[in-house]
Amino acid sequence: MTSYVLRRLGVSLLILLGASFLVYQLVALSGDPLQEFRESTRPNKEALMAQRTALLNLDVPAPVRYFLWLGGAVKCVIPGQCDLGVTLQGQPVTQALGSAIPSTLQLVAAATVLAIVVGIAIGIVTALRQYSALDYGVTFLTFLFFSLPVFWVAVLLKEFGAIRFNDFLADPSVPITTVVVVGLVSGLVWALIIGGDLRRRLITFAVAAVAAGGVLWYLGATQWFRYPGLGPALVAVTGVGIAIGLSALIAGSQNRRALYASLVTVALALVAMFALRPLLDRATFPLILLLGVLAVGAGVLVGYLFGGYDRRQSMRVAGLTSFLVAGLVMLDRFMIAWPSYFTQVRGRPIATIGSETPGLGGDFWVSGLDKYTHLVLPTLALMLISLASYTRYSRASMLEVMGQDYVRTARAKGLPERVVVVRHAFRNALIPLATIVAYDIGGLLGGAVITENVFSFKGMGALFINGLSHQDPNPVMGTFLVVGITAVVFNLLADLAYSALDPRVRVKA
Amino acid sequence: MKIRRASLAVALFATGALVLSACANTPQDEPDGGSSASAGAGGGTLTVAETNQFSSFNPNTSNGNVDINSKITTYPTRAWFNYVDGSSFAAGDPKVQKDESFGTYEVVSEDPFSVKYTVNEGVTWSDGEPVDADDLVFAWAVQSGHYNSESGDVTYFDYAGDSTTLGLTDFPEIGEDGRSITLNYSAPAADWEVAFAAEAPAHVVAKKAGLADGQALLDLLEAQADVAPTATADNAELRAVADFWNTGYDSTVLPSDPELYLSSGPYIVSDVVENQSVTLVPNEKYTGDLKAQLDTIIMRTIPDATAAVQALGNGEVDVISPQSSADTLTALKALDGVTLHQGDQLAYDHIDLTFNNGGPFDPATYGGDAAKAQKVREAFLKTIPRQQILDAIITPQKDDAQILNSQLFVPAQASYEDSVAANGSADYPGEPDVEGAKQLLAEAGVTSPTVRVLYNVNNPNRVNAYTLIAASATQAGFVIDDQGDAAWGSRLSDGTYDAAIFGWINSGIGVAGVPQIFSTTGGGNYNGYSNSKVDELAAKLVVTLDTDQQAQIQEEIDPLIFADAYGLPLFQSVGLDAVGDRVSGIDDYNPNQAGVWWNVWEWTVND
Repeated sequence: MTSYVLRRLGVSLLILLGASFLVYQLVALSGDPLQEFRESTRPNKEALMAQRTALLNLDVPAPVRYFLWLGGAVKCVIPGQCDLGVTLQGQPVTQALGSAIPSTLQLVAAATVLAIVVGIAIGIVTALRQYSALDYGVTFLTFLFFSLPVFWVAVLLKEFGAIRFNDFLADPSVPITTVVVVGLVSGLVWALIIGGDLRRRLITFAVAAVAAGGVLWYLGATQWFRYPGLGPALVAVTGVGIAIGLSALIAGSQNRRALYASLVTVALALVAMFALRPLLDRATFPLILLLGVLAVGAGVLVGYLFGGYDRRQSMRVAGLTSFLVAGLVMLDRFMIAWPSYFTQVRGRPIATIGSETPGLGGDFWVSGLDKYTHLVLPTLALMLISLASYTRYSRASMLEVMGQDYVRTARAKGLPERVVVVRHAFRNALIPLATIVAYDIGGLLGGAVITENVFSFKGMGALFINGLSHQDPNPVMGTFLVVGITAVVFNLLADLAYSALDPRVRVKA
Repeated sequence: MKIRRASLAVALFATGALVLSACANTPQDEPDGGSSASAGAGGGTLTVAETNQFSSFNPNTSNGNVDINSKITTYPTRAWFNYVDGSSFAAGDPKVQKDESFGTYEVVSEDPFSVKYTVNEGVTWSDGEPVDADDLVFAWAVQSGHYNSESGDVTYFDYAGDSTTLGLTDFPEIGEDGRSITLNYSAPAADWEVAFAAEAPAHVVAKKAGLADGQALLDLLEAQADVAPTATADNAELRAVADFWNTGYDSTVLPSDPELYLSSGPYIVSDVVENQSVTLVPNEKYTGDLKAQLDTIIMRTIPDATAAVQALGNGEVDVISPQSSADTLTALKALDGVTLHQGDQLAYDHIDLTFNNGGPFDPATYGGDAAKAQKVREAFLKTIPRQQILDAIITPQKDDAQILNSQLFVPAQASYEDSVAANGSADYPGEPDVEGAKQLLAEAGVTSPTVRVLYNVNNPNRVNAYTLIAASATQAGFVIDDQGDAAWGSRLSDGTYDAAIFGWINSGIGVAGVPQIFSTTGGGNYNGYSNSKVDELAAKLVVTLDTDQQAQIQEEIDPLIFADAYGLPLFQSVGLDAVGDRVSGIDDYNPNQAGVWWNVWEWTVND
């Protein structure tokens, strides 16, 4: 095993060297670093050209210049000695990377996690309803999103998700046509998802349409969009829904202890919602993190105390329920801060550029809202276009597993369908996805160059494109190095994880 | 079962309705605008979108020489004797405005030429230190290049500006009051009024370089003034000063030491979010006339033009200056509550013919027969479809765009009309004269000469212009060799082409650019053009102080260039900014490097 890993690392190093050489040459060939001076009529342009030539060593041919760069870059193996050169503005590249990486992670992490969770969920559901209208509809939509160019999606999202939505918020009354349309669409979607015979579909359609339309109308009529909130009642109802749903899915509806455990955590969360209110008003990020851990801990504890023949199942259900309900409580607290945030940004809350409103004063909740309103559109854009591959892979993988003999055996011995799907099929269907997720994380740091550019995010992508457009090789190479190393490392991890997850492909060493 | 399900649905719906009625946050007392809005007269926050990222509090080094650094540092945070009036470009008369609340300057004598600068009493930096002679002398030291050795062995200040004008001066005489200096020029300098500009505070530079105070720096500069030009080795103290000035101000975040961002102007930087935004607030210590009227100015970096337009539409920014294009323009026109300012940039596209490469336009090709080469050049220029090029590239962005008919003036300038009437540009009307070109070629006795045309293949405008020129010239019997090249810039001076399509970017005010391009030895003379009369006039131009005389000399140069069939100017690029209606104080497009920032103190918002 060790020799395999070492061999892989050795090969990766050579690949990195070769690739970095190629990239360096391509950047050097991409244009003329002195162009901005050549068209200038300034009397001192020759001096400026000489300064730039000295800064970038332009008098050295590019293939040789690469080794000058490499000389600094190899020092990165010694901590604190890293020398990746400076940008044209004289900022060390290591420093520029240091601020770009967190910014990129902020942008891409949420989108990636959401795309994975939603994509897998959609994939499983469509696999279970193979060749149904739902399957075809979802396939059509995901491929539609997949094939849309991101800069165009971004422009549309900004126009409708930000500009028009903000216009709507200025006078948040929902016209009756919107109510009807949203109701009909919601009815259609739910009827497709739940399925069944015609009668059942019609009932689902009617209920969902009336519910969605009614809720929307009510929210519009009560100015909810201007002064949103959940209140204890909605938190309680949703919490109970989560508790019932999760225990049915994970533990099965016959496992009453799991259900009771999760219901108790919902009750506890409601108590905490009131008890913690003064504390939450002065919240900081570490406090929220701590409360989140405590919530999960409390849930697990409740599950443990309820015990029963399968204690771990109760603990899992209760812990997860507790986490989600704590999320609801947080959401409610954010909504309380909304009107104050709304006035601070002059009534235009959803942002189209950047990662924060400069100069915004406010507590944890207001600045948190500011982060969300800036992240929501780019996250949505990135998620929509990367959803397709996850739904496809998980659908295919699920279908393959569902057709295997052991699934038939499981059914034959009388297991409920839920157990067959969740416990026997789903877990094995996830194994091939591990590889894809690892690859994606490798690409994650590279940033979404176009998305960052369109949304004016200053991450790795911006660093890369900015360097490239000014023929500034050092930041481009810095970005390449980070991305290349992550890609190589995560590919290796993917292979190792695969062999750990699936004994059939374990390397014999 | 069915009944159970139906009743469940009803129950759920009922609970839902109940719950919803309890869920909304009741409108509390409306929060009073938060901290950002201010109810008083003036005040408020203005957000400006810019393309580049802020990287240095010193915009005058070659590292820091990016437009945004000077927009942030120079205009809001440096008071000075004068500033370039950004509205004067639209009026056709680029000029400087004096700010006498900072100080005064006067020409003491014309021959020998000398100017006296006096800072008013009580003008201070934002740390309370007065702005006085040490600051002026330090600015002179940087901008004159005086301390760099003549042999080129020792270079102290990595100054990105032009030091030819102040290079004509000696170490300034310092006035008795300690607030004034006199610059004595060894020759008259046409651009004297804009050559001397504000610099970093001398007392901070001194301190950071290990000197005691501004006076110590002044003494050091005085002591080194005579020896530095001939020095062969560094002076350690001056090296420390220069090193700090060269790199000490580079920072992409707000420095922890407030001395690094002192201000003598109406505003002062209060926050920098790396690569994203810079926040300016009024400078409490500013006492001049150009008072800050806003509570906050925020600069946000948005490189993408579409993103900038949508941010303006969404009210996130109030002012944008995107790259002009037909698409951007359409998008901007669709916005409500936005005023567009269009104008001509200082950049213009032109085609130049090469005189010294043994090609079809070089007399040497015809055994030194200058008249023959002249005819071939004229023939080629006659085929250039300037109106078509304009219609293809500029008219979609600007309805009333015109062909540029002068190499030295732009239409907004008063002298343009006069010069165009007499400069010979009438021989090359917008429409190509293919017959005339054929006739000239026949007269010259040259058949199907090959013309290698160089242009930037990555610039769609240049490709467009090339395509139109090539089609037209081919009709007249020229053989066009497409030399479109991404690395066109490095080929400009190597003579491997016979005609080049590219752009000049003018610095806006001053005449130093003229000898650069048209003198035999000019740094921007890539095509080997040489005319002794032009050389003589250009040399005279840069030592002429009177602006009317300057215009007159340029009017003399303009026809000479056309008569020699040097090449043709094509069009001026279109510049654009868009301003939300809540903003006042930004009324015209300003083509120089300051962009909208030139009158930052006049900006107000009305909510």
